[in-house]
Amino acid sequence: METLNFLMQGFDVALRPTNLLVALFGAFVGTVVGLLPGLGPINGVALLLPIAFALGLPPETALILLAAVYLGCEYGGRISAILLNVPGDAAAIMTTLDGYPLARQGKAGIALSLSAISSFIGSIIATCGVVLFAPLLADWAVAFGPAEYFVLMIFAIACLGGMVGDKPVKTLMSALIGLGLATVGVDATTGVYRFTFGSVSLSDGIQFVIVVIGLFSVSEILLMLENTHAGQQAVKASGRMLFNFKEFGQTVWTMLRSAVAGFVIGTLPGAGATIASAMTYMTEKRMAGDKGRFGDGDLRGVAAPEAANNASACGSLIPMLTLGVPGSGTTAVMIGALTLYNITPGPLLFEQQPDVVWGLIASLFIGNVILVLMNIPLVGLFARMLAVPNWILVPAIAVVSLVGVYAVHSTTFDLVLMIGLGVFGYILRKLDFPLSSLILGFVLGEMMEDNLRRALSISNGELGILWGSPITLALWALAALMLALPGLRWWRNTRRRVRETAAETHPAP
Amino acid sequence: MYVRLFAAIWLLACAGLAVLAWSFEAPFAYDPVGPRAYPLLLLALMAAGSLWLLVKPKGEPTPAIDWAMARKVLLCIVALLAYALLFEPLGFVLSTALAGFAMGLLFNGRLLPSAVSGLLMGVLLYVLFDRLLDVPLPLGVLELMEG
Repeated sequence: METLNFLMQGFDVALRPTNLLVALFGAFVGTVVGLLPGLGPINGVALLLPIAFALGLPPETALILLAAVYLGCEYGGRISAILLNVPGDAAAIMTTLDGYPLARQGKAGIALSLSAISSFIGSIIATCGVVLFAPLLADWAVAFGPAEYFVLMIFAIACLGGMVGDKPVKTLMSALIGLGLATVGVDATTGVYRFTFGSVSLSDGIQFVIVVIGLFSVSEILLMLENTHAGQQAVKASGRMLFNFKEFGQTVWTMLRSAVAGFVIGTLPGAGATIASAMTYMTEKRMAGDKGRFGDGDLRGVAAPEAANNASACGSLIPMLTLGVPGSGTTAVMIGALTLYNITPGPLLFEQQPDVVWGLIASLFIGNVILVLMNIPLVGLFARMLAVPNWILVPAIAVVSLVGVYAVHSTTFDLVLMIGLGVFGYILRKLDFPLSSLILGFVLGEMMEDNLRRALSISNGELGILWGSPITLALWALAALMLALPGLRWWRNTRRRVRETAAETHPAP
Repeated sequence: MYVRLFAAIWLLACAGLAVLAWSFEAPFAYDPVGPRAYPLLLLALMAAGSLWLLVKPKGEPTPAIDWAMARKVLLCIVALLAYALLFEPLGFVLSTALAGFAMGLLFNGRLLPSAVSGLLMGVLLYVLFDRLLDVPLPLGVLELMEG
């Protein structure tokens, strides 16, 4: 009951004219950024964050803007996936598998409208999940002390290593680089300057905005130089634009199942929309068996990943709001946004800043309604955005990036540092190091060191406090399990391979 | 191959940074950990990771460097750096026009359209950010004209 009151209060905040306008603007920008191949939610949020800050938007409005952009990207990614066979963002990769064949069969309109509804259902179910579970988790997490927090962050990083899959060492290395970047600057407890190389500009650390924009926008610009799909013709959406009742009936259970699965995956720290959409697609394909036409245009093949990626985007707000630990790269950036406003995310957020939390949650409902209303009739307009040539688009991204970084401190040093980080990010991406775990590490870095040192101050240097309570023990066990996952997977694969080769050399009689 | 090279360089960097981190000492012990332990712990873990990658660079082999592409990337970095360095002295409008033009050409735009789009971007985005949205941007040499 109390929750409902808070939710009503949240709607009061979210329905203020400025916040509605901001949500509308964010939804539109998000869809455009999402559909442009290469640019994903992190880029969208990173580009708008410094501008929102420079505009002096109050924290709840800024968060509503960023959340609308985040959701919009998950809606937008499917448009280029279906029409162009190029995923607009990483989470839409699975949507291309059936979306593009559908478009080639002249069913682009049906695929687009059905995937919009799937996205909507996924988001709404997940947002209801947020309303139900976030306050519970926050109540429970209030009992967390510094030691518990420290171990929780270890668990979040271990999750990255275990979930991102095929390259655990590179993923963990990225996270460590992020943690290391966060130590630059003056040490808060003792006032000692660390890794500043005598530079005054580095003395209060590397600004979050510079890291995000450098790593994601600048490196993206360099990667876009190799972009080859430019000029590829998008399939024209023609024929029936709306799905009919029968098609909806075929896919509704897929949507519901995928939404719940996506939500659960999204709440795990580190596992984001990409994993959610891949897992639900595979599950649906297996469940359909031989009757499904997955791969050459099954409607369930667009419904599942779209419901899942939106649901996981909303779900990833739970660890962010309740624990202050991001569930995805994009929520890591949103945590950075909160710290720009001197708001520390964590369980106390629900008590201290109810306007921010519940305004954000309510705006998710509103944002989704705006997005689905915008996406079905305006899909033609959005599809036309795909025709913007790179020689206009890329310089525009560069300009907005520089403006965003310049808005923070107005120094040339920051601009050069941003480009340096961008080149570094480009090299890491070429070598296949995941950057989202780097940004996660960077966001967690300061909190992690703080909590470790606070815990050890409490215990007077006794390390035992780090595994002294049942919660810490459970978290350590979970972290160890996560780290063991890639090894287990590897072991199973080798065993299967051995069995297969054995079967080949000794054919059954 | 390139992963190995990167891991080797990173290992050296870790060693160098560790030497640097060793000198972080608080004049007075505020807390039992001090400013030095945590960075050293991170560097040790990173060094272990680098060693692993050096010995066992698993995964897809990184494709060989395409030198024509590398030249383009380098030119793009130079353009961005020039843009950053000229941002304040030349002012937003002029530096953006130049950068928009140069990058437009790099991304296979034609001469005249790139120049026009660069100039338009400089003027329109200046009006949008500085005048409408109140995000202050440098005017640079144009300041004289305004005065």
